[in-house]
Amino acid sequence: MRNSLYVFHKLCVNITPGRWPSLLLQNRLYAKYFPDFFQNPIFRKEDQAKLIENNELSKYTTVPVLPPSASETSMHFDPLVNKVINHIMKDGNKKLARSLLEKAFENVKRKQIERYHLAKTPEQKAKIELDPKNILHKAVENSKPMLQLLPIKRGGITYQVPGPITEHRSLFLAIKWLLEATTEKERTVHFPEQFAWEIMDAANNTGKVVKRKQDLHRLCEANRAYAHYRWQ
Amino acid sequence: MRLNLPFLAPNRKNARRYQREPVPFQMLLPLALKKTVSGKGDITKEAVCMQEMAVLFACFKKSEFDQTQCLKEVTSFQNCYKEYSQRAKVQREMGKKGILVPGENKMTHKQLNQLLKGFPAL
Repeated sequence: MRNSLYVFHKLCVNITPGRWPSLLLQNRLYAKYFPDFFQNPIFRKEDQAKLIENNELSKYTTVPVLPPSASETSMHFDPLVNKVINHIMKDGNKKLARSLLEKAFENVKRKQIERYHLAKTPEQKAKIELDPKNILHKAVENSKPMLQLLPIKRGGITYQVPGPITEHRSLFLAIKWLLEATTEKERTVHFPEQFAWEIMDAANNTGKVVKRKQDLHRLCEANRAYAHYRWQ
Repeated sequence: MRLNLPFLAPNRKNARRYQREPVPFQMLLPLALKKTVSGKGDITKEAVCMQEMAVLFACFKKSEFDQTQCLKEVTSFQNCYKEYSQRAKVQREMGKKGILVPGENKMTHKQLNQLLKGFPAL
């Protein structure tokens, strides 16, 4: 929103009779509220510590910085949770997506508390993770594939060639698979309920998504003879 | 009626004639290498981290594709790829600008041109 504030009136002012050239010569039709060279703010303590560690802090001292958005600076903001919400979202309905994830978190919490109270010994109780956010993190971590198959054409035949995967794509696939596994459900079961089960399964290194990841790894292993066809 | 008049026939000069041996040589371009290289063959082909991947596959096969038993192999594979992508990124950025990276054997056409400018072909 902050980057897309049009200054359309600037153009409108220029359109006066007999002043066409000024409009035609203008190479930019709109201006941004904040220009491109404004950097995103680095406000998290971990990120700042990393900058100090790498001696990169002096780079940012003279750079103009965008104001931080209200949601990102919240103490409860989690980049991964936000990413998952954005994947759940349809037609820009973020409010509904957020409520669905929160409901799923509630279901996880209820189930884990139930398990906690059913556990008999303190050792068993200590093992049970009660924070749904941590469970989501663990689930995504366990669902991330490490390899991918790329179709490469050699001599008219398309080979499925295994190779390493970027961090970004692996995260994307993990979230996509979790959501696809969730939508494979009975119509009577609602999304939050099924999603809660899926992330609890994946965090436990079992379930559909982990199996899907292992199947991909198996396929990569089966096609390992073609690995030398890979090129980057 | 079709006219077949001699003055309408194709001109003898314009008609394509066969070449008689020996065909005379015409120097269309100077007979020397260019001072630059073109950027056509710039697609680098490289398969990275093959060794690490083979080790990973061996471990996977042994442990029935259970990732938790192959943590060492997984981290070494991922570190290898991370290192490669960082190296490739530096090379790409330097290559775009044509800055020479010391000790780098593979160069982009811009880097090669930079080098040829310093040491032109005779």
